[in-house]
Order: sequence, then C-alpha cells, then structure tokens
Amino acid sequence: MYVKPDRVIDARGSYCPGPLMEMIKAYKQAKIGEVISVYSTDAGTKKDAPAWIAKSGQELVGVFEREGYYEIVMRKVK
Amino acid sequence: MVNRVLILGDGDAGTIMANKLRFNTNIKDVEITVVGKSKTHYFKPDGIHIAFKMVDYKKSVKPTDFLLNYGINYINGEITKIYVEDKFVTLKSGKNLAYDYLIIATGDRFVPEDIPGYDGEAKHFHDLQHALELHEELKSFKGGKIVIGQSSIPIMCPPSPYEFTFLLEEYLNSRGLKDKTELHYIYPLNNVFSIPNVADYVSKIMDERGIIKHTFFNVDSIDPKNKKIQSIEGENINYDLLILVPPHRGQKVITDSGLADESGYIDVDRYKLTYKDYDNVFVVGDATNLPISKAGATAHFESVYLANRIASETSGNLYDEVYDGSIACTTATGYERAITLYFTYNKPPRANFDSKMDYFLKWQSADTFFSSMVRGIA
Repeated sequence: MYVKPDRVIDARGSYCPGPLMEMIKAYKQAKIGEVISVYSTDAGTKKDAPAWIAKSGQELVGVFEREGYYEIVMRKVK
Repeated sequence: MVNRVLILGDGDAGTIMANKLRFNTNIKDVEITVVGKSKTHYFKPDGIHIAFKMVDYKKSVKPTDFLLNYGINYINGEITKIYVEDKFVTLKSGKNLAYDYLIIATGDRFVPEDIPGYDGEAKHFHDLQHALELHEELKSFKGGKIVIGQSSIPIMCPPSPYEFTFLLEEYLNSRGLKDKTELHYIYPLNNVFSIPNVADYVSKIMDERGIIKHTFFNVDSIDPKNKKIQSIEGENINYDLLILVPPHRGQKVITDSGLADESGYIDVDRYKLTYKDYDNVFVVGDATNLPISKAGATAHFESVYLANRIASETSGNLYDEVYDGSIACTTATGYERAITLYFTYNKPPRANFDSKMDYFLKWQSADTFFSSMVRGIA
C-alpha cells in the first residue's frame, strides 16, 4: 500500500551511491515515524536501498516502478 | 582581445589546469590568473606511506608558486564570493577580480565537527600533519583492536582507506604484532568499495589477510571515553586505535555564493564540466559532484579536456569534444603490490590482478607528479 511521504528526495540523474547517500541523509534528519520517499534512475538503488533499510532495522514501505525511475519508500521506526 | 581566465584554487586541479592551459595558449591572447591560499603543495597520495615512514615527507611538499609555469599570475589570497552573473570574484583583501572564463577548482575540506567525538580521538592520514601524528601513534602501538575506514561518502582518494589497511596489515606483521591485533574495516556501502568488481577483488584480499569487514557502516558518533564507534545503522564497535578519514564537504565559499547546497559540491554538466547554463564557468577536481573519484588523477584528466576546449574557443574555433569520465589511478594492495584502475563514466575498471610493476608506478608517482603531471607536461 502506498503511503504519502513526509519527505521526498528526488535523486533522479544521480548515480550510485548518490541516491542511497541522499536517503541516509534524509533519514538522519527525519523524526521517528516519518516516511521518506526516494526517486532514483539508477537501477542499483532498487537493490541497495532496501538492503540498507533492512540492515538499519527500518521499515520498507515499498519499491515502486514509475515511468522512467524507481521510487523507494521507507519509514523511520527507530 | 585578451581573454582573462581566472582559476580559483591552487591545489592539484587549479595548478594542473593553469599549466596545461598555458602550454596550449599564446600569452598575448590568454591571461591566466590563479587565486589560492596554500603556501605549499602537498602530494596527498603519499599520506599512506608517510604514516609508515616509507617516504621522507619533505619530498612530498613543494612551494605552491614554484609549481606554476612561466606566464601565470598568482594571487595568494582568500576568495570570499563568486558572482557568476556579473563575472567577478571578491577576495578577503577587498580586491575584485573580473574574468571572461572562470574555472572553479576549489576542492573540498574536512568537516570533523560533523561527527560528535571525532576531534582529538580519531587519527587519519589524509593530510601531512595527521599522517605524521599517525606515524608516532603506530610506533607506540603494542597490539589490540584497530578500526579503520571512512566516516561517509564522498572522500578524496576513495581507495586510500583500503590501501592503508593493507599496508598496516603488513606493517603489523613486520613488527610481530599481527597475532596480537584485530583489524576491523568499516565502509558506508554494502561492500568494501564503491565500484562492484574492485570491491569484490579487495574484499577477497581482506578475507585472505584476516581483516574483519563491517559494511553499511555510516559513522554516527564516537564515544572517546568508552573507545566505541557507533554507526547510523545501529552497530557499535570498540577499539583501541581508531583510524578514520573525516567527513568532507565542498568549500564554504561555494555554498555562500549560492553555487551548491550545504554539501558544497557543485552540480556540473558531466560531459562539458560547465556550471548550469554558463558556458564560461567550469568546475574541475574535487569541487564537482560528479559520480567519479575525487582525486588528483581525475583533475588531471579533466584538465586535459578543458585546456583543449578553452584554447580552441579563445582561438575562435569550435570544440565539440566531451569529457568521458576518464581516470587512471594506481592503488596499493600491500608493500610491493598494487593494482592500476582505468575507467570512464560508462566503462568500469578491470580488477583482475595486482602486481609489483603497478606498485613501482605508485612508488614513483610523487616524483612523476611534481616533475611532469602538475607541470602540465604529461
């Protein structure tokens, strides 16, 4: 289910590891419970971002294939 | 008409750029001015050797103005603001410098204050002073747990943390301390380096040498009292000695001039190295946010392209070549082993073998750098 994000990071055009590092930066700034969405045109993000979310114990809301880019949505739970 | 080229920065990128452009242009047609605040030019890749006293640090340093070729004006001063719309730059001295072409080569800087507990606790080898201090620290090391790595991405010379780790492992071996020491390597991504095939190669060597890897480790804070480093991902590691490359940002003047966000890295056209729609404003070296290594080798390759382009344009010719992201660098995998990586935006480097011959290239690189590369000859 899609959840409306509190923060949207548009990292389209940025190459690996740019989108992931942008997501980590947004995570640091976010409050617990906030939903962060990252747009990326780099296919590597589709694999790396969920792996980072799992490692850091956050919640992966979903990985969505949009027109010409991917959207990765996470919730900060701790 | 004389074209005024103003180069901001007197590090690798600014110096190579100025020298190459001087070779390619007539002194009557193109006036080149370099502005920077360095008194000396330090060959940063030697940091990993200086920490082990493998080279005499005095050979890694030259006076800044000595490295600029004849026919280049040099102003030792601090830049306070860049006005790209009005084509001028202000200096702390109160002087204004107008230009026709601007080349931003301001590099980046350390921001240890971004990590609580870093200052006074973590050691590193990324500048001369810290490399010398680290040497003293290593001399008195008697065994224990060493944590090595980088705080975040990006950093200058991305391979340097694994290069240092391999040299350290051999250093400890030579001192009979290997069995008394645990080496822990931390890295922000899901492998030990940002380029997948190089990461796999380096990771295999780490396994062979008993180096313990911690991936997805983005440093959150350091607790000096309890000798503990904590990651954003929630992992804690205790240490006896912490060797950590500090976080980096672009220069403050870049952010203050509205050319970049708080990261300080400028968004540039990856093929033309231009800033936004300004076809007379270029960015080279570590100041860009390009997805390639922040290294002197990158500045060198970018300068070859840009010097040709500006020389061509100032002669009234069209120049339709692009910068393809080419870089070549040699990285150490031990005392007498190294691997040379050559890559472009679209072609990853081959990482098949390391060799003694590649290490010879690494060993000679300070002499090669000062005598030819930085002079714009190579």
